[in-house]
Amino acid sequence: MQQVLSYLKPYRKWMIIAWSLMFIELLVELWQPLLMEKIIDNGIMTKNLSVVWTWGAVMLGTSLLAFASGIANSFAAAYVGQEYGFLLRKHLFEKIQSFSFADFERFPTASLITRMTNDVTQIQNMVFMSLRIALRAPLLVLFGVVMSFVVHVQLALVFAVTVPILVAFLLWMMTKATASFSIVQQALDRVNRVMRENLAGMRLIKAWMRGTYEQQRFMKANETLMERTISALRLVETITPVLLFIMNMAIIVILFVGRIDVQLGSATAGQVVAIVNYTTRITSALSMFTFITMAFSRAKASAGRVADVLSVKVDIEDDQQASEKVSGQGEVRFEHVSFRYPNSHALVLKDISFVVHPHETVAILGATGSGKSSLLQLIPRLYDPIDGRVMVDGVDVRQIKQEQLRAFIRFVPQEVLLFSGTIAENIRFGNERASMEEIIQAAKHAQIHDTIMKFPNGYDTVIGQKGVNLSGGQKQRLSIARALVGMPKILLLDDSTSALDLKTEAKLLRALKEYTCTTFIVTQKIQTAMEADTIFLLDDGKLLAKGSHDELLEKSELYRKIVESQFGKKGT
Amino acid sequence: MLRPRHSTMATVGQKQQAKDNIGTLKRLWSFLSPQKGWLIAVVAMVIISSCLSLLGPYVVGRAIDAYIVTKRMDGFFLVVALLLFIYASLSVSTFLQSYWMIRVAQKTIYAIRQQLFRHFHELPISFFDKRQQGELMSRITNDIENMSQTFNSTVIQVISSTLTLVGAICVMLWLSPLLTFVTLLVVPLMYIGMRWITNRTQKRFREQQRCLGEMNGFIEEVISGQKIVKMFAQERRVIDEFLRKNETLKQAGFWAQTYSGFIPKLMNFLNNLSFALIAGVGGILALKGMISIGVIVVFAEYARQFTRPLNDLANQWNTLLSALAGAERVFEIFDMEKEEQDETGAISLDYIQGKVEFDHVVFSYDKKQDAIRDVSFSVSPGETVALVGPTGAGKTTILQLLARFYDPDRGHIFIDGHDSRSIKRASLRAHMAFVLQDTFLFEGTIRDNIRYGKLDASDEEVERAAKWANAHSFIMKLPNGYDTVLKQDGGGISQGQRQLLAIARAMVANPSILILDEATSNIDTVTEMKIQEALERLMKGRTCFVIAHRLNTIQNADRILVLNEGKIIEQGTHESLLEAKGFYYDLYHHHLQKEEVS
Repeated sequence: MQQVLSYLKPYRKWMIIAWSLMFIELLVELWQPLLMEKIIDNGIMTKNLSVVWTWGAVMLGTSLLAFASGIANSFAAAYVGQEYGFLLRKHLFEKIQSFSFADFERFPTASLITRMTNDVTQIQNMVFMSLRIALRAPLLVLFGVVMSFVVHVQLALVFAVTVPILVAFLLWMMTKATASFSIVQQALDRVNRVMRENLAGMRLIKAWMRGTYEQQRFMKANETLMERTISALRLVETITPVLLFIMNMAIIVILFVGRIDVQLGSATAGQVVAIVNYTTRITSALSMFTFITMAFSRAKASAGRVADVLSVKVDIEDDQQASEKVSGQGEVRFEHVSFRYPNSHALVLKDISFVVHPHETVAILGATGSGKSSLLQLIPRLYDPIDGRVMVDGVDVRQIKQEQLRAFIRFVPQEVLLFSGTIAENIRFGNERASMEEIIQAAKHAQIHDTIMKFPNGYDTVIGQKGVNLSGGQKQRLSIARALVGMPKILLLDDSTSALDLKTEAKLLRALKEYTCTTFIVTQKIQTAMEADTIFLLDDGKLLAKGSHDELLEKSELYRKIVESQFGKKGT
Repeated sequence: MLRPRHSTMATVGQKQQAKDNIGTLKRLWSFLSPQKGWLIAVVAMVIISSCLSLLGPYVVGRAIDAYIVTKRMDGFFLVVALLLFIYASLSVSTFLQSYWMIRVAQKTIYAIRQQLFRHFHELPISFFDKRQQGELMSRITNDIENMSQTFNSTVIQVISSTLTLVGAICVMLWLSPLLTFVTLLVVPLMYIGMRWITNRTQKRFREQQRCLGEMNGFIEEVISGQKIVKMFAQERRVIDEFLRKNETLKQAGFWAQTYSGFIPKLMNFLNNLSFALIAGVGGILALKGMISIGVIVVFAEYARQFTRPLNDLANQWNTLLSALAGAERVFEIFDMEKEEQDETGAISLDYIQGKVEFDHVVFSYDKKQDAIRDVSFSVSPGETVALVGPTGAGKTTILQLLARFYDPDRGHIFIDGHDSRSIKRASLRAHMAFVLQDTFLFEGTIRDNIRYGKLDASDEEVERAAKWANAHSFIMKLPNGYDTVLKQDGGGISQGQRQLLAIARAMVANPSILILDEATSNIDTVTEMKIQEALERLMKGRTCFVIAHRLNTIQNADRILVLNEGKIIEQGTHESLLEAKGFYYDLYHHHLQKEEVS
């Protein structure tokens, strides 16, 4: 919370201005019953018209003053609110951009997005509100009570009892309500989950004729939701009647005691009227309390979530002396590298050593979980190894500035991620300065050019939600084109050709030979592996064997087994 | 670059108007009417509480006149007792109105949700093929939530605001027409002021909403693609772009917030103004003996009682309209055409042998381009047919027609000699089992997921099926065995294991016809072998249709149908097709080219 609010510091001056303006407004409002009292007691009761005129004019004048401060307050509050939101978002976004892969795994993507959007808006609204109105309610209650005491101590004593009771009651209700609303939220999540599951799995549900079964399931969730919502709302709805009752009882007490006092001459009629008026104002301020505490506790939760992100200590940062120039030859060397993912005990890579010379092509083969992707991710330093060294062109990657290192490495991940926008824009993501010719060249090599030309707008075709839907294979090829346009010195393909048919894949692999880069290909297919200069066979994090296809056939039992399973017995 | 997807975001912010308010209200009423009795009780309570809330200040004012100003005594306790009664009943009726309304509202929302869900199940599969699931989901969630909230509070507020407004004006007129007129002077001011503000805010709010949508879209996209940004070292560029959008939002937001901040200030001012007017003018009138002090007190109270409802009404009106628009969107789904009912006189089959015949079948999804054209073939019980061909050749379409997700435009499909259209869908699908590419698993235990194939299967049957499907051993290694709860999207188990579960699910169903769409995703060698073994067991003795990707499956098929551009261009066994040296030969030859080289 504190960390999040600390971004308010630059606007301290404006906050004070906003609050002062709000304070003026409040004072005017609280002064009004007092003025009314003067009109009644000094004017009407003594039949003095000029007093009525004077105080009436003062009331009008102060109302205008309050209005003017209110308007000015709006400007100041909006200014602080927007500037603060801007700053908070900026810091958050920059922080997230500095995250390493390991940091990312600590937050699900969806949750990061919510934190940046909803949560920030929530906090921003709270700041804006507290500058404009939120402080009003407690201050109104406080000053209302104080003013009542100024008007008439004995009559005001009634507040000394009712107000603390009510504030305590409201706070108690808030905690109870928060708890029961989070239970409602769980039930709502469950209903939505069943609904989403059904929408997603409709084909299967229909195929298996499980409609009735699913409806039973949904009904159960829906019923729970209804019951919980009813009880939560009913709890909250008791607040208003209780509040009204207690404050109205206060009015009766004031009338009762007031009558005696007036008779004894210790109070005037005007004073009684003024205090009754304060009571109603306090009542309406108290009912605002509920709303404000709700909003405040929501904002507090949001601030907590935002602070979680801001307080992450980024685990991969450029070394102070990381200025070592790399030649960009493309030699990759692992020296006794061991690696495990953060928050995990199992070693994913165990004592791996190898050298890959510039322009060599390496295929990495192995079962799921054998460490193929992990090995690839260490090269552009997406993670740091826990032991050993990863070297590019003879320099430990930890000694190279991340930006410089990644500038000549291009990674094509397993899971294709494209941005919405045109095809050309997506390819250009790999190299900002690429000309149209270079983009087309890359697309041709990635075997996607012909497909693109078949789209109505060619390279300007918009993809993503609003545009053309690409097939899995088309996406993969586009993602490869995006990597190729960067003219990488080291190209990492993490099972990026899985959705391509063999013919296209073969063409693509041939086209890759035109690039003078070191290439790593993670694959499941023997055919693909056979295109490489060297094959690495990984098993359970260890580099089991390396060599050409023929060498491995001879050397490795596991390799022979894999070949058999893909080609049948006669493959070997 | 990186154009954000503001299309969806922007529409969320804007309040869309319903096209047919009356029609929507009528339909809403059909959901509300079962609760008619309760609803009447609620309205009665609202009337009572509104009257009492007007009566309270009136009695207080009178009491001040009668006992405080004149210092009289007689009857005072009666007035106090009356006040006590009014206030107590006010609290009780306020409580009851919400207590009952919440029940009415939630039961109604429950019914709408239930109906919606039921309706989804009656929609044809084409509805889901055409729509994006996320959009549909957010629409339902938002719209129904919106309706629920409106029902809970808005209905009561609108009624009570209107009543209070009318009641307050009536009582004021009765007490002092002149002072009423003075008090109402603020109303035109309020109207002008609100007009001035809303004219300015609406445009700016729309602008702010647009900027916010654009920025949120950008955030969503960049953070979803963060790993790519990182791998390509594009952080700086992304931050620059973000700051630009953030800055635009700040500018737009400043004016929207400033102007909207005027509204409560204006209301406050008008409150204070009317208070001052009542005190001043009322004071003069009181001096002239035209009204009493008590009347001033009552007016001061009422003036607040009607600026507030006026403001509330304006706000609630918008909420009401947007909830109506939401209701209309939900009802639109109700109006979607249901899946065709089974034909009258459609038969149920207790047993299916598994003979399948396609007779000159033509089908098109969009009624423009045929997905399959004039397909005829016949399959005898127990035969395994592999469908082979490039993407878009019509393999999936044939399976969809077989399961009657769609019906052919022309031609017939015969199952055991019966036209498929004359068989009840339920009965037809009861004899089929599906192992589809996306092995959809539900949130629930492993056991439940396997049992999905046959809901009344005993635990033994489930385990036997799992053993046959080679899934038993990995299930036993999970922390809670068969009772392990699968998370959404089946996290925690691998692709290959998911497939084994799907096979077990089909196994437990014990179908006559098996429909298989082999997954292309990469599965490690050991699991792959297990899957193949399990599939062989599953397929034995059943009529099988397989969209095959595994060479093994193709080789073992009794017959291969080679499809291209919606037509069967070749058919036969693996060997005979190779000999024919046609399309299949090309496909196959290329597949094994490399092997022969080595």
